[in-house]
Amino acid sequence: MHRARDDVEDLVVAKHTEALRRGFRVWPRLGFLPPALGDARWTPELILATWVQAESGCPPGGGLEHRVGRSGGGFDRLDFTFLPAQEQLAEREPVDTSIALGRRDERSLDIPIPWYGAGMSFGSVSERIMLARAKAARAWKTFTSTGEGGYPESLFEYRDHVIVQIATGMFGVREETILSSPIVELKYAQGAKPGLGGHLLGDKATVAVARMRESVPWVSLFSPFPFHSVYSVEDHRKHVDWVRAIHPQALVAVKVSTPADVDMVAVGSYHAGADVLQIDGGYGGTGAAPEIAKKNIAMPIELAIPRVHRTLVEEGIRDELTVLASGGIRTAWDVAKAIALGADGCVLGTTELVALGCTRCANCERGRGCPFGLTTTDPELSRLVDPDWGAERVSRLYSSFQREIAGILRRLGMRSVRELRGRTDVLMYVGEGSGDGR
Amino acid sequence: MRVAAGADRVGESGPYARHRLAGAFAPDLFPVPPRFRVRVRKLSLARLLLRELVEYRGKLGVVSSRPCMYGVFSGPLGGFAPREQLCVGCLRCTVEYPDVVQIHPNPERERTGGSLLPPDDVDALLYEARTGRVPVRGAGYRGPFGGEGWDGLWTDMSEIVRPTRDGIHSRETIATDVDIGEFPSWLRFDAAGEPLGPIPRFLTIQVPFLFDLPPSSVGSPELFRVLADAARRIGTLALVPAQWATEPALRGPHVVPVLSRFRGAAPDDLGFAPRMLEIDGWDRARFSEVIQRFPTSLIAVRVSAGADILGIVRDGARILHLVADYRGRAGGRFMGDAARSAHGQLVEAGVREEVTLIGSGGLVRPEHLAKAIVCGIDAGALDVPLWVALQGRFGAECRDRETCRVELPRLDPGWAAQRLVNLAASWRDQLLEVLGAMGLREVRRLRGELGRALFQLELEREAFSGIRGYAPRA
Repeated sequence: MHRARDDVEDLVVAKHTEALRRGFRVWPRLGFLPPALGDARWTPELILATWVQAESGCPPGGGLEHRVGRSGGGFDRLDFTFLPAQEQLAEREPVDTSIALGRRDERSLDIPIPWYGAGMSFGSVSERIMLARAKAARAWKTFTSTGEGGYPESLFEYRDHVIVQIATGMFGVREETILSSPIVELKYAQGAKPGLGGHLLGDKATVAVARMRESVPWVSLFSPFPFHSVYSVEDHRKHVDWVRAIHPQALVAVKVSTPADVDMVAVGSYHAGADVLQIDGGYGGTGAAPEIAKKNIAMPIELAIPRVHRTLVEEGIRDELTVLASGGIRTAWDVAKAIALGADGCVLGTTELVALGCTRCANCERGRGCPFGLTTTDPELSRLVDPDWGAERVSRLYSSFQREIAGILRRLGMRSVRELRGRTDVLMYVGEGSGDGR
Repeated sequence: MRVAAGADRVGESGPYARHRLAGAFAPDLFPVPPRFRVRVRKLSLARLLLRELVEYRGKLGVVSSRPCMYGVFSGPLGGFAPREQLCVGCLRCTVEYPDVVQIHPNPERERTGGSLLPPDDVDALLYEARTGRVPVRGAGYRGPFGGEGWDGLWTDMSEIVRPTRDGIHSRETIATDVDIGEFPSWLRFDAAGEPLGPIPRFLTIQVPFLFDLPPSSVGSPELFRVLADAARRIGTLALVPAQWATEPALRGPHVVPVLSRFRGAAPDDLGFAPRMLEIDGWDRARFSEVIQRFPTSLIAVRVSAGADILGIVRDGARILHLVADYRGRAGGRFMGDAARSAHGQLVEAGVREEVTLIGSGGLVRPEHLAKAIVCGIDAGALDVPLWVALQGRFGAECRDRETCRVELPRLDPGWAAQRLVNLAASWRDQLLEVLGAMGLREVRRLRGELGRALFQLELEREAFSGIRGYAPRA
């Protein structure tokens, strides 16, 4: 009897999984834009283009816009000023897209692409999604972050590519997971809800999630803001020291939001001993957040990067701190523009979820969670994403992004993405009268 | 203490009671148009079902498994009669079966806010009025990068450099009460310790907003009673035309009668001395006359947000209600700019602390209120959100309270007041989110705190100057 029911459940999952995968392939070729898909930031074209890249590993052809959205500002109004064709590097010329994470003392790690995966906690996403992202991170020798929800055992196999996050709720923070991570991330704030901490709705705090977080099942969990042990940036030092005491070899990353004094935050983080600073702009975010927090608190990432970069240069410490931008990075072109504005690289979150099938319907928090099996802990829904399939999608997206960035660098005559950092002279602003930025 | 005798707290039994707003579910009176239209090709659906019956060998549990978690296809006729009201636009059905079903935005819903409000704002306001809760959604921000008006301004937050500027942690108690009144810059006392000259005279409302006059097209005793009752429960004030304020049911401490600027245009003989009055327009002689007639009442003056307020303050007014149209425009300026200008002028003149600035017009979402306070007002007077909460329908042209045609449903007083209380509870909680992010313990600290405002134009100038093609907007 149970066997028969299991068979039906398996068939149901298989039926919908197959239909979804077919849909992700077919939709970009429908010849029209699905009328209810997308928004100003993630236009239908961008979502479909991301699906194409996750399918093929290449930028889409056929004129499908894959570079900018229609938000009317920020990255969507910036473009590159390329060299004349004869001065560009030839296609066969090798281009280095690697960046260094941490550049002081003997602690440094190179990653071959200028980004890694953002923190998304177990609970906000399923373990299968975490696994898919970790597999892709290993394949690309980059990283993914646990977010603040603990470190599922299934990730241990990928521990050389998993960042463990310590956030204000300290959920799932254990000495052994810190010890197993090459990078430890202290999350002070997140762009999607700056200054508001975190919130996992009770429906998502399943038995497994609660066990991982050492909490009570089906009870909402709040990560407070800010760290209750930090009253000034000087106190930040003790957090770094605490991590170093446990794991001296680990790089310490600090994730902060983008307040008016984000430049001072950067300087303070450096002096506290951070190796990597992740500045998280307000327009990103993968989980549920109060609507009022999304648009209105703290500045967009495009405006924060130059402020941080210039201040670190003026302080003479720019080359010792790796600055990664996140919170609104959608495309390879956004990555390149963020670097030209002054970041070393980026952190990708929503983009990876879109590659896995997210339509950005914003129902992550409703009922059983994401209907595509992404931001859910529902056992049946989460089966819609097979980790190997997901890893392939993310890997192919990375491949396309790397190809795009290499192409941009060649057209700028640059042999390394490290040359692009802070080169606002290769950018141009596309005004309102010129149509959308590209 | 004598000085404190001038204070009057609205909505509290004692000076230190913690203010709470009791939200309770108050359902919509009539359904709003569904967000999406679900178009199903019935022949294609029939073919799909037949194919699956064969493929899954009649296993109905598999065949009848639908691609919707929200019940759109779970009615008696399944996909043949989709229940559009339940569609949340996840698009999973159409991703799986693009040849069978397509989801379209509902044009009827796009029109729900008339020319005044985008449909997302209407949805949010209705949710707030229905539940009293804070709207929460996933997947980040979806709108334009910035823009005109409130869209060109972000509020600051505290980070690790100064996370606890006021020693605040997360959702600790944050005060949202605001004083409205007259505050002399200094006090003088005689030898016996008794004050000489003016002392502060003010009242305290529990939230930094009050209810503005409704459009002329909807004023009725029933509506004013609802507004007054909701104001009482919230601990704030409702502005009511003086001719209606004479009704016994409206003679409460939560009602602010609004007198005409012209003598004789409306009854001045209210039959009681309200705690606060408002004069609709500025006329020095009229102001003096009203002061004489109502010596114990606070007197506010309602003027255009583009008016020369310094002159009015010099002539003695201490409570100014700056009015913009429903889009927040007045005298060619936006409310935020007008508030900054008014606040700045009063600071320059050294009288800012003596004056209360109330602002109205263009305050449609709680973030607008927070931003208006950052720009310099003490409290906002709400208009459009109230009529949306009561499920009013807006006419085609809706610029201000004189021209706006709003059609309200027949109001059940209990339901209507609860909708407004819910709206207030939700807005208050959302203000707490913004204040908490900034590390502020009280909304009064936010007033005119331009250091906590991030203006798009200024930030873009800093970030993009030197980039070819960038020209700062005026």
